[in-house]
Amino acid sequence: MDFKLRRPPEASSKSSSSMMNRISNNLKPDLPFVPFDSTNLSYGARQELSISEFSPPVVTQPHGLYAPDKETKAKNQVEPSSEVNSPGMSWDPRLMLSNLSFLEQKIHQVQDIVRTIISQEGQFFDRANELAAQQQLVTADLTYIIIQLISTAGTLLPNIKNALLSTTPVVQPNNALAISANEPTNSNQKQQNILPMEVAKSSEYDELIKDLNGCGSEGDELIKCLNNSGTEVSESIPMEDHDIKDYDDGVDGENLPPGSYEVLQLEKEEILAPHTHFCLICGKGFKRDANLRMHMRGHGDEYKTPAALAKPSKEASSEPAIIRRYSCPFVGCKRNKEHKKFQPLKTILCVKNHYKRSHCDKSYTCSRCKTKKFSVIADLKTHEKHCGRDKWICSCGTTFSRKDKLFGHVALFQGHAPAIPMDDTKVSGTSDQAQASEATNAMVGNMGYSFTGNASDDALSLNIKGIEDGQGYFSPMNFDACNFGGLDEFPRSVFEVSESPFSFLSTGSCSFIQRNGEN
Amino acid sequence: MTQIGQPRGTKLMKRAHMQQPSDSIMAVLSVDLLIQILDRVTDSCDRKSCRLVCRGFLRAEALQRRALRVFRREALPRLLRRYATCLERLDLSTCPALDDYALSASLAAGTGRWQLRSVNLSRASGVGWRGLAALVAACPLLEAVDLSHCVGLGDRDAAALAAAAGLRELRLDKCLSLTDVGLAKVAVGCPGLKKLGIKWCLEISDIGIDLLAKKCQDLMELDISYLKISNKSIQSISSLVKLEVLSMVGCSYIDDEGLEFLNNGTNSLRVIDVSRCDNVTSSGLTSVIEWHKRLQKLNVGDCFPELSPLFLSKLNGLKDSLTVLKLDGFQLCSSSLKIIGMNCKNLAKIGLSKCKSVTDEGISELVAGCVDLMTIDLTCCHLLTDKALMAIGEHCKKLSCLRLESCNLITEKGLDRIGTCCSNLEEIDLTDCSICNTAMQYLSRCSKLMVLKLGLCDKISDEGLVHIASNCKLLRELDLYRCIQITDDGLAAIATGCKKLQKLNLCYCTQITDKGMKHVSCLEGLSDLELRGLCHVTSVGISEIAKGCRGLSELDLKRCNLVDDAGLFALAQYTGNLRQINISYCPVSGMGLCMLLVNLECLQDVKVVHINQVTVREFENALRGSLGRLKKLKLLIGLKHLLAPWLIQMLQVRGCRIRWVDKPCYEPFLAY
Repeated sequence: MDFKLRRPPEASSKSSSSMMNRISNNLKPDLPFVPFDSTNLSYGARQELSISEFSPPVVTQPHGLYAPDKETKAKNQVEPSSEVNSPGMSWDPRLMLSNLSFLEQKIHQVQDIVRTIISQEGQFFDRANELAAQQQLVTADLTYIIIQLISTAGTLLPNIKNALLSTTPVVQPNNALAISANEPTNSNQKQQNILPMEVAKSSEYDELIKDLNGCGSEGDELIKCLNNSGTEVSESIPMEDHDIKDYDDGVDGENLPPGSYEVLQLEKEEILAPHTHFCLICGKGFKRDANLRMHMRGHGDEYKTPAALAKPSKEASSEPAIIRRYSCPFVGCKRNKEHKKFQPLKTILCVKNHYKRSHCDKSYTCSRCKTKKFSVIADLKTHEKHCGRDKWICSCGTTFSRKDKLFGHVALFQGHAPAIPMDDTKVSGTSDQAQASEATNAMVGNMGYSFTGNASDDALSLNIKGIEDGQGYFSPMNFDACNFGGLDEFPRSVFEVSESPFSFLSTGSCSFIQRNGEN
Repeated sequence: MTQIGQPRGTKLMKRAHMQQPSDSIMAVLSVDLLIQILDRVTDSCDRKSCRLVCRGFLRAEALQRRALRVFRREALPRLLRRYATCLERLDLSTCPALDDYALSASLAAGTGRWQLRSVNLSRASGVGWRGLAALVAACPLLEAVDLSHCVGLGDRDAAALAAAAGLRELRLDKCLSLTDVGLAKVAVGCPGLKKLGIKWCLEISDIGIDLLAKKCQDLMELDISYLKISNKSIQSISSLVKLEVLSMVGCSYIDDEGLEFLNNGTNSLRVIDVSRCDNVTSSGLTSVIEWHKRLQKLNVGDCFPELSPLFLSKLNGLKDSLTVLKLDGFQLCSSSLKIIGMNCKNLAKIGLSKCKSVTDEGISELVAGCVDLMTIDLTCCHLLTDKALMAIGEHCKKLSCLRLESCNLITEKGLDRIGTCCSNLEEIDLTDCSICNTAMQYLSRCSKLMVLKLGLCDKISDEGLVHIASNCKLLRELDLYRCIQITDDGLAAIATGCKKLQKLNLCYCTQITDKGMKHVSCLEGLSDLELRGLCHVTSVGISEIAKGCRGLSELDLKRCNLVDDAGLFALAQYTGNLRQINISYCPVSGMGLCMLLVNLECLQDVKVVHINQVTVREFENALRGSLGRLKKLKLLIGLKHLLAPWLIQMLQVRGCRIRWVDKPCYEPFLAY
């Protein structure tokens, strides 16, 4: 579970969004969601990677958290019942049936594996590896099942919509609740995203359908509305806050007049805390309230009621939306509300990333180049994808994977020039210069470090202009130093990182963040 | 530029010093006065004489000299020490065996005092980035550098050069390893560049050109010929508001669309050369000449077959400015030439080479309009007859250069008119024209004639040469290639009449013997002599040449079947300035070759194919002796595997390019 503690919350929403894409892809015959294809394509590969890379979270509570087969079956049985609602125009019930029976088989397989695990209990100590392998297998299978379930359910969407339009706009809430109550935890959350029958109001649901049909090409929109229909809807976060852009803490497109928004400032401990939701009974921590609620079911039947599982703050959505912005707790930072030119951060996520990037040690080192360090793991992941591939180097030390990018950079900055790799033999005399340049490097490195220590994102203005190459080449080492703050040479898109095979199941970090903010 | 630096001269000078009494008249004159005197001496030989008179003159000359061209590597440090303070232009393109060490050591002599602004390192293939770095460090005022044909030069060398921030002119033609990165280095390091030549730098792409255009906004001259660049580059170039000269010969990826971009910026262009751009058409050019109203030179040769009437009519817009128009390889009817004649009144130079459809009528129409024409190139205009020459003679009184190669139909009648009317004629090319001695008589009236090409004119005999020699005293260049009737007597006349001759081509004039060589040896100014296939010339004749023509720098003895080691010994002893020699097929031995290559310290270009008496070992010895000096070598391909690999490698590392020839008549080498 260790990785889970460190996982940036945004990773999960990426996963969930790509999940959406998958669904939308399945919907394609009916709905024009073509633009999602690219993300969708890469999904599978990433999924595999994450399965092999991380020990699955199933380990500790294989029975409590994840689908006991009976329940899944129950769900399987329930789901076709939603067909009753739809007139069944464009979807093929036979296809769905075959899908479901395939899933059933799959679930049986998982059952078998879990049974083996149970039978092996007590022998764990000598066969830890085997167990881990089995657990991975379970994780992978469950993931697959969930995906299939969702996509199968997804085929119903337009039909339901038709039903809504033609007959009654209100979905049977009881029915939906019954489904979710019986469902395995994670797939339930997923289910909330796609078939938001559980708690979503009919109007919201309507909006979802509308958006699904209407926006078509706009991925953000889709994610937005899906998020809205999910758990966070009630939490009165303005729609645009779910924009993909938000995950980069440097983005400040808006110019809200001071006072027009509420400023929240989280404490350092809150920002860095891996878990914010703790079980009152066993003390286990969770990143998301929804996960906690699902966990609570294991502590007794009273936690299984729809009321207990429903979002506690549902009513809050009726209040007028207050624009909230966030302040960095680091005094002196431009993102701190005491700063003269205070620039608020848009979301909790921005706060977390900003705080880690600007005011924390860079504890994650790239395993490949051993030089670049990051404080946000997603940044490291992004870097590792490109590490070693950048062969175009500027005299300032910045590296590029493409020549035209390097030349664009050189054209932009006065005094920068492409560097020539030192593949030649050095003559005497240049070695001194090389040393000198190394010294410069070190100096620059220190400077950069001090910036990262106290400066904020606008360290961009202190860019590398002054750094000139004596020898035409800097080691990539000072890349880090030059590249502090908001000066992003590589995209920090966390969307491509999925650390856990299940991370896509969670609905984003905002619920947790919100709570924090309110505290 | 004057030639100095022969060891012999130094000895003479010392002798002169010893003979000079200290209270001579020269000692009384101040340095200022001596400089004043020297200012009035322009001829290089005369200056040399002055230099050798006394120390005072030598000192004055050192203070007065601004330009220097070096022929000997050994003389370089001494010369640079002497001239360190005042020298502004240094030409090292002819200096053999120049490498990084020699360059930096020589420059160290004048550290801190150098006023050098221009350095020519063309073909100095031994110079790399270390030498360039030393040059840049030593000469803070450096403005112009020529590195053309330094084929080994790459990005690192360009980077070293880029440290010269004040650079205004740079030629990097045929620096084959230069890529966008090197160009970017130069562009960033030398933002004040005004002239840049990157012809034949095949690695350079649109990206590099784009950056260049962004960084060097002051560029006035740009040569991007033969680059594999697209229209995008032209778009980048169009942002150069000061650009006046644009050469883009053979850029076949550029089409009319690219030329359109040139019309977006300012109309600063004065000269544009788009010859051999296969994809450029009449319409693209029309748009260019419409926009750039002050165009002075336009070269559109070999682009497309026919000029559109629109283009011709638009030439009218340039009538005041256009002075040079090259239309090589076009189908031009007489009406087109008439329009050109009417529209381009100020034309001084026209190139109609290989315009095979050009007729007498067309030329008449053209010259009737363009009376100021000074250069007319009619190479391979086969249809032209005497009528065209009559018209030219009648209208173009200022004519100085006329090229009539392969105009078979012209006769002495036409040349009679030319000789009578065009008294300013300096250059005429009559190669492959079937003209006779009478024509020579008429031509000899042009007493200013400097260049005369009579190759393949087999009717020309000694009589014709006597006419020329009697009147054309200024003749510098004479080409008698395959004029088989020429004998020793003709050469005698030339040798007495044309004392200023520098280039002489006697290839395959098979009647010439050693006697003729004796006459030729009287031409002291001769620098370039081709004696290919003179089967009656022996080593005796060559020895005469060697003793007489001390300034000889290029000699071709290919297939001189009687020239043996004795001739080479003489050459090795006397022609110390020889830079280029061809002794292929000569019956020389290893000894002769060794003597030649080891002793001639200026020798840089050697062609030794099929010299069958030389063993591999002797080849190796000879090449080892000249290692570091040779820049070009032509050898039989069979030697490639026989010569020691280290030697070949060494030669190449020191900047020598070896051309391996695979000729059929190959006999196995004699080996030990």
